[in-house]
Amino acid sequence: MTDVLQTDVLVIGGGAAGSNAALKAADRGARVVMVVKGLLGKSGCSIFASHLPYHDVSTEQKARDRFRYSVRYYNHYLTDQEYVKRMEHYMRTEFYNELERMGVYWRRTDDGRLLASPNRVPVLVVHKQGASGVLIMDRRRKEIRRRGIPVFEESAVTALLLDDGRVVGATVLDCRTGRFFVVLAKATILATGHSDYLASRATATREQSADGIAMALRAGAELANLEIQWWHISDMLSPRAWMRMHLYPNPLLGTKESSRLYNAQGAMFFEQVTHAPGASAPYVEQIRRLAREVTAGRAHWDGDYSTGYDHIPPDVIKAYQRQAKVWDKLGLDVAHDRIECGITWHMRQGGVNVDTMTMATTRPGLHVAGGIACHYLGGVGPVSFDGKVAGEAAADAARSTPAPALPGTAVEDEQARLFNFLKASATGLRPIEVKMRIRDIMWTLGYVKNAEKLQAALAALRDLRDRDVPRMRLQSSSKVWNTGWIDALDACSMIDACEATVRSALRREESRGPFYREDYPFVDNENWLCKVIVSRKDDEWHWRKEPYALPYLAPEKAREAFFDADY
Amino acid sequence: MPITSADIVKVRIRRFDPSSDTEPRYEEFEVPYTPKMRVLDALDHVHEKLAIDIGYRWFCGVQRCGGCAVRVNGRELLACWEPAERDMVIEPLQHAPVVRDLVVDRGPFEDRLARMQPWLARRVPHPGFPEPITHKDMAAAVPSFDCIGCLACQSACPVLDLGAATTFAGPALLVQFAQQALDPRDTADRGRIAFEEGGIFECISCYKCEEVCPVEIPIVERIIEPLKALAYRAQPDRARHANAFLRLLAAGPWIDPAMLVLKIQGLAAIRHPLRALKLVLRGKIRPMRTLFGSRATGAAAADVRRLLDTFDRRR
Repeated sequence: MTDVLQTDVLVIGGGAAGSNAALKAADRGARVVMVVKGLLGKSGCSIFASHLPYHDVSTEQKARDRFRYSVRYYNHYLTDQEYVKRMEHYMRTEFYNELERMGVYWRRTDDGRLLASPNRVPVLVVHKQGASGVLIMDRRRKEIRRRGIPVFEESAVTALLLDDGRVVGATVLDCRTGRFFVVLAKATILATGHSDYLASRATATREQSADGIAMALRAGAELANLEIQWWHISDMLSPRAWMRMHLYPNPLLGTKESSRLYNAQGAMFFEQVTHAPGASAPYVEQIRRLAREVTAGRAHWDGDYSTGYDHIPPDVIKAYQRQAKVWDKLGLDVAHDRIECGITWHMRQGGVNVDTMTMATTRPGLHVAGGIACHYLGGVGPVSFDGKVAGEAAADAARSTPAPALPGTAVEDEQARLFNFLKASATGLRPIEVKMRIRDIMWTLGYVKNAEKLQAALAALRDLRDRDVPRMRLQSSSKVWNTGWIDALDACSMIDACEATVRSALRREESRGPFYREDYPFVDNENWLCKVIVSRKDDEWHWRKEPYALPYLAPEKAREAFFDADY
Repeated sequence: MPITSADIVKVRIRRFDPSSDTEPRYEEFEVPYTPKMRVLDALDHVHEKLAIDIGYRWFCGVQRCGGCAVRVNGRELLACWEPAERDMVIEPLQHAPVVRDLVVDRGPFEDRLARMQPWLARRVPHPGFPEPITHKDMAAAVPSFDCIGCLACQSACPVLDLGAATTFAGPALLVQFAQQALDPRDTADRGRIAFEEGGIFECISCYKCEEVCPVEIPIVERIIEPLKALAYRAQPDRARHANAFLRLLAAGPWIDPAMLVLKIQGLAAIRHPLRALKLVLRGKIRPMRTLFGSRATGAAAADVRRLLDTFDRRR
């Protein structure tokens, strides 16, 4: 008999969104259970947070800059502008205060002023630039422990349970012991992040295999703008583990300077303060400029270009920047040496379609929060706001929802699916090989897309699903921390999420922000300032468009060449 | 000779599945060296390219999550951060139960840490933002904020070899605890907790923790010593080691190790005659001198007494 836990609110995911959702739901008196695939506050991408936008609106100009940055440069107009207003209010009035009360220290000067960067969109950091996410998540982790909220760590949620179209909980596999159990919940919050370790070079963490996207898709939820996929270009080429080491292109604390990027011939081709002054996160403009270098043969997507801080006094870098350690560790001198870079698949603007007032999805009983949702690009602050909204809404909904019962045969079916993988064989295709192949397919698809490449990726993914997944065999049938078993589950999630992403990309017949189709090389605000929504029902794929309201800010041009646009 | 791309890295990994193995075994793999290769790159190669299902933990790969700490050739390190070596024996951390292969159970560590109340305690929280504090105010706590909780220091700590015979919580717990204990905003009785839950005076200041800390926290001087001072101030009578040390100093300008042990442990010290004999044979303690030797006097002794008087006045 499978163990069944009953709760009011189930939170899936242990980053900034999930942790705040759990805390806020508990604040409202709900019983909360958390399930985290990695370790609460240690896995996931929240620990990467460094520069947190400080929502300084002391003048009207500052408030306008701030809003414009969020809508135009961060989300390319693919966002709910009313949500942005609410989120910015939260950032201004709640986010920093609450974390400071929890023990987070925001860097001050020796005489006690907040040390914000002096550029147009100021940012705050904790004691050191590059360490914000680690400290914030550590405090949230301990706060959850203090409150006694039960957390199942290193446990993978494998499926959302549906009863008559309503999400009533999820099945869980404890990766440490192989225990399979069920959490029945009156409301479920999916907060699994961007979860984008889907290409050979990616900044996502190891456990991130887009399980949330895949589970939402299988549960019949709508997914929007999955194709709006960000790339970072100032990430290290080698060592391979350090492809997640982001050498920040944003302005440095205590100076108006930012790092510079150089092509293979040593010519500077990007500097934030020069080329993207309005954007605190200049990634869209960065990769467009790199694309020009690659086309001209002066750089590759993985190598032959570099970044450095050698134009900035080294004591400034060392005083504030955790990243300066990278140079030391490799025996390089930050005052002179540059580091070779490659692009990495970073995060996505899109995700599960959501009503931003409650963070409810198109599936009753299912809320989302943070990077997995479609409404905003992300960031530790905004996703914390999502967590608050989702946590409170889920707790309220739980009050008027009766305790769910175990639905039909869904649990047995899922158990059979999981334990079917647990077949050991001395030879055979290993699940990790399938995972590596998926990442290779998405890396090959890359930044420059067209219909032909997208169709080829779709066909390759279909082959994997039909031919290779059934052939997967494990080395051991142990239930204890069986890496192969988890890889097998990951591979299935990744194929679903990648297929949805490619299908969504095929539908969007324009280029926008980080999304570039060489067969449609223009920003088309007339026809494509909209959500591209995909869903799957009974193995049939569906899609539709939904335009955005533009109550406060609209693009000036109906249509412009992609490489001329600044957002 | 520096390692180059033409080289092969030999990796021996300690493997153990408690559900089927009676004892650990070592499996050997050959991994081609890649530019700037880290230990984690070698483990990833075994998993991703050789398709071996080794149990190992990591999340971020860039010294943030603290998940990948292991022992390589007997030394604790963060796999993602340290360079690969030509020959590596890779083993799980010590002083924690093994889940499988290189993965250890962090549960006991987390449970004990929770007993130390690792959250900011304040009688009256500051209502607004930003609270009027300066970077100088925070200077004592800041080094502890660098901690990523990787448990490398915990594994390297020789006091924890004593197992249940010591009450010492270990360096990793104390660094985590210092994040609140040394924060001027905190109002809990941290000195008492450092003593009762942390066993702070069991630390022998051997610096092994510092040697392996991947984020280079000066653990002994900036964490342990301030915590000892807090604990001493909270409960001076229970700081037996510090008090015995002070009394011996007051009596003469040098510390007799045998006397120190007797004063700290009292009669309990004679429960270990074999250990005492070993110490005598190795010349670590000299019983005849302890019993019959005369205390030195003169200028040095006067200096020590002057220092102790200053210390008393400051207290």
